[in-house]
Amino acid sequence: MTAYAIRRFLSLVPVLFGVSLLVFTFIHLIPGDPAVVMLGERATPESLEKLRKQLNLDKPLFFDVEAAIEERSITALFKSQYFSFVGRILRGNLGESIFTKVDVATELRARFPATFELSVGAMLIALLLAIPAGIMAAVRKDSWLDLSVMTAALVGISMPIFWLGLLLIYLFAVNLHWLPPSGRLDVGVDLNPVTGFYVIDGVLTGNLAATGNALKHLVLPALALGSIPTAVIARMMRGAMLEVMNQDYIRTARSKGLAERVVIWKHALRNAMLPVITVIGLMFGTLLTGAILTETIFNWPGIGKWLYDGIGARDYPIVQGGTLFIATVYVIINALVDLSYGFFDPRIQYR
Amino acid sequence: MATSEAYMRTPTQQAWRRFKRSSSGKAGLIIVGLFVLLAILSPFVMPYDATKDRNLRERLKPPSVEHVMGTDELGRDIFTRVIHGSRISLRVGVFAVGIAVIVGTILGLLAGYFGGRTDMLISWLVDIMLSFPSILLAIAIVAVIGPGISNAMIAVGIVQIPIYARLTRSVVLSLKEQDFVAAAEGLGAGRARIIFRHILPNGLSPLIVQATLSIATAILDAAGLGFLGLGAQPPQPEWGLMISKGFLYFTRAPWISLFPGVAIMVAVLGFNLLGDGLRDALDPRTSR
Amino acid sequence: MKRWIVGLLALSLAFGWASAQTLIYGQSDLPKTLDSSDAQDGNSLRVAYQITETLVAFKPGTVDPIPGLAVSWEASNAAKEWTFKLRKGVKFHDGTPFNAEAVKFNIDRWNDPNNKYRGNKQFVPFTWVFGGFKGDGSIIDRVEVVDEYTVKFYLTDSVGFFPNMLGASYFGLDSPKAVMANPEKYGTPEVGAVGTGPFKFEQWVIGDKVVLKRNDAYWGEKAKVDTLVFRGIPEPASRLAELKAGAIHIANNLSPEDKVTIDADPNLEAVVQKGLNIGYLAFHQKNKPLDDIRVRKAIAAAVDWDAIVDAFYAGLGERATEFVPPAMWGRDGKVPAYSYNPELAKKLLAEAGYPSGFETEIWYMPVSRPYFPAPQPIAETIATYLADVGIKATLKTEDWGTYLSDYDQGKFPMYMLGWSPDYPDPDNYLFTFFGPTSIKTNLGCESAACEEIGQLLVQARTAPDMKTRRELYAKVQRMVHELTLSIPVAHNNPLHAVQKGVAGWVPSPLGSSENLNLVTVK
Repeated sequence: MTAYAIRRFLSLVPVLFGVSLLVFTFIHLIPGDPAVVMLGERATPESLEKLRKQLNLDKPLFFDVEAAIEERSITALFKSQYFSFVGRILRGNLGESIFTKVDVATELRARFPATFELSVGAMLIALLLAIPAGIMAAVRKDSWLDLSVMTAALVGISMPIFWLGLLLIYLFAVNLHWLPPSGRLDVGVDLNPVTGFYVIDGVLTGNLAATGNALKHLVLPALALGSIPTAVIARMMRGAMLEVMNQDYIRTARSKGLAERVVIWKHALRNAMLPVITVIGLMFGTLLTGAILTETIFNWPGIGKWLYDGIGARDYPIVQGGTLFIATVYVIINALVDLSYGFFDPRIQYR
Repeated sequence: MATSEAYMRTPTQQAWRRFKRSSSGKAGLIIVGLFVLLAILSPFVMPYDATKDRNLRERLKPPSVEHVMGTDELGRDIFTRVIHGSRISLRVGVFAVGIAVIVGTILGLLAGYFGGRTDMLISWLVDIMLSFPSILLAIAIVAVIGPGISNAMIAVGIVQIPIYARLTRSVVLSLKEQDFVAAAEGLGAGRARIIFRHILPNGLSPLIVQATLSIATAILDAAGLGFLGLGAQPPQPEWGLMISKGFLYFTRAPWISLFPGVAIMVAVLGFNLLGDGLRDALDPRTSR
Repeated sequence: MKRWIVGLLALSLAFGWASAQTLIYGQSDLPKTLDSSDAQDGNSLRVAYQITETLVAFKPGTVDPIPGLAVSWEASNAAKEWTFKLRKGVKFHDGTPFNAEAVKFNIDRWNDPNNKYRGNKQFVPFTWVFGGFKGDGSIIDRVEVVDEYTVKFYLTDSVGFFPNMLGASYFGLDSPKAVMANPEKYGTPEVGAVGTGPFKFEQWVIGDKVVLKRNDAYWGEKAKVDTLVFRGIPEPASRLAELKAGAIHIANNLSPEDKVTIDADPNLEAVVQKGLNIGYLAFHQKNKPLDDIRVRKAIAAAVDWDAIVDAFYAGLGERATEFVPPAMWGRDGKVPAYSYNPELAKKLLAEAGYPSGFETEIWYMPVSRPYFPAPQPIAETIATYLADVGIKATLKTEDWGTYLSDYDQGKFPMYMLGWSPDYPDPDNYLFTFFGPTSIKTNLGCESAACEEIGQLLVQARTAPDMKTRRELYAKVQRMVHELTLSIPVAHNNPLHAVQKGVAGWVPSPLGSSENLNLVTVK
């Protein structure tokens, strides 16, 4: 098990190396560069050249062949933009925004909790709705309940999130005034951030009003973002339950005269959870990294919106550092999901 | 004679029988059928030129008998535009998935059949692509090749490549060990022949199911790009773009965003239902 | 009567009768930086303006220069030298005294590319206003400390409106001590900014809000509220939704078409600002056949500009005829509007050899701006009118940053753009659009007439008396109209809204120089 875990995590290294390469290549393929964006309306070729030099954008992208020949050294070959980026990352420095001079790490520390809180909210809503719904649909297969749960789930995965978000805002914020339309906290609410997760911070600092306020802000975006996981998990849960209930040991349990409730909750559910947990893990990874549209609609100060704006501004450090961070989180979650098989199902042996 | 026929159904006939029993499959087929029909017939039944359409006196009118879905910020009839939007979304869905299936399947076949270094390289690429949030990857691709509906189509297609590469690879790996492939190899069949004549057709079912479901995802992703202004460009009546334009007016004229969203939902639902039905029919083992 | 109320109010504040009050301002984004000289966007500048102050200020709601941190100024040597007398007894928020050395420190930091306190910043706006850095186009040669409260600027050329330039909100003066302590991170969320203004920097929660506190030692009128909070809410519709929900007190730059919604809400009050902006559709003549004057005139005649202004400005904008807005001097005043005449358009196209039209592109801005509150629908509408006379115009856009760097490359055949002034002078409009370089790069016009327009504007810049400048600017506007170099579309009076009970808020025609210390909350 431990050996497998180590191997699994080591296998992330080449993937993350590839990610760094891909991000770097992509962002430099995008036409225009930060110097152009920064100088804007009144740029001249000279001022552009000067600024590029200042921002170290005049160095070669991958290999500085010229310098290597000139200085007769192999190490000079790596005085390029890519290797200085990788070098910085390895030293634990994600760089700073070209435009705002804010450290990428500082932005991540402020924004990742926002994204994380939203993802957790979405996932909680999904689990609360989907698992009971999936189980009931499986138990009463082909009943009207099954049909409506499955239809609702299909509708859930068929809705564009940004559209659902707009509808929710229109209905619950603009018209009914039940919930706030955007942001994480009312301005009037004072909260001392401890962890950056406002709901938790409120509890930690004994400020339950703030927790309540943060929860109110969380409901709509979490509902919108949670629509797809809810649907996927409900379908998965139902499928897994049906599969398990056809197995011999369930039939045995039934024939032993165990109550249906016990059969379902004790025997079937436990075994059906394995594939569902996998999906939950994978879905959570996706939520953490893919909330750009939800964050845009609800003006949620998370990572997605920030990265998207970073691409628009050609803010290389933001896009490079931010994407690498997101990818790291994502592959680590996936690895953990893999490893959790062993935890939930001791029959699985890792080689 | 009649009885023996019943027992000697071809796999296709069996699948069709199972499909007919699947209510979601039938519902999906009807919705998708209507959708395709709409896309094909709309230019003939309801000619529309988006580049000339404007009626500034009739702006932002709520739904009425005359305009069943209301009018938008240029006074255009939203119903007409939603109908014509079906062409764009259908094309995007089909072409994007086409790109993904072709490229992904080839990569998967190569990786699965040859194994070794080829497999390692392709799997590495696939892992890298999968560790990006797909919408971010699509945004980055469009940022490189420029916005527009065709480029959005390409971006959405590229993002889906890993799915097919993985799927095909796993199918090939499971088929490779089977008797008929070994037999073909034993008979001295060429590698390309084995791959395309023997392995590919046998792995087709999961591909078809996945492709149908992927069209749904592709339509949603393209609408997302349209919403961000990276997909279809105005005045095209693309649904995602229409929703995003309605955002500016949504406290005053919510119908601008409402109806294109309903259209997306119904179309995507159709493909999802159809995909479910096909899975029931083609891949009976994995369903229920 | 009024004075009496103000007096009572001041008294009540002095005795702490008013309870702790917070003013929440909703704008389209949070600042990018609080280092005003490194900020290019109104959202950063508006916040920075509350913290740091400029030497020259403007009377609230107008463009009339009034004393800021300088109490008086005078020109000598044909406006090549400017002496500013500074306000005495002013301190930065960190206790550093404000004096001539502090002014010199700031100007040198911006002007001298080798200054060691630049902190790797670009100070791009400085180059916009003053033409470059020292030794590289800057009109400021050097700054001299005459005595504790007097500074003298030596310019490389005569500039009659130099004080107006210094009044641009980019040039808020920062505490030398604070800048020196951390030049790299000065203005970021972690460090903030230190100035002399009515509010002090308190906290910047990334992605969420910027919090300022009243400066009780302010030299001028002390802020009426204790706390001022800025929130960034990108979509105008969301800003309005937040205002309706009561989560913010002021929502600026709303969609003009939401005026009806605001008027219908008993809790809200619309604030319509006198705008000084201009939105226009430009032709880049590097793209054929737009170099043909008949084609440009045909396009001007093919579109019903009045209908567009009526539809998308909801009665708040006015049809533009010249490039300087009516509230500003430097207009001809008699330049006619292009009138809608599709028949004439077709005839002109036929004469130019395009009886069945041609294909071209219209580029529209990806963001709404005061002068074009809804760029995309406006562009779509223009394109439909062009389609009526056979011109097939494809609509295009790109990221705002790239857009701004591309429009002068000749890549955009026709493009929408506009202007809100940095400093209130016709020069800031006309020289920007039609100066000798811009007319070539922005409009691609290299004809003798365009050359002449450029030269006229150079003359106007340095002309000694107002009469000559007036005449030169009027002449330029007539020539621009005659040549149909660009089509002025609208001057918008931007729409904002406040909660009922918010008083004293006067949006600035310059966009970001708002005196939020004067605002009261019920």
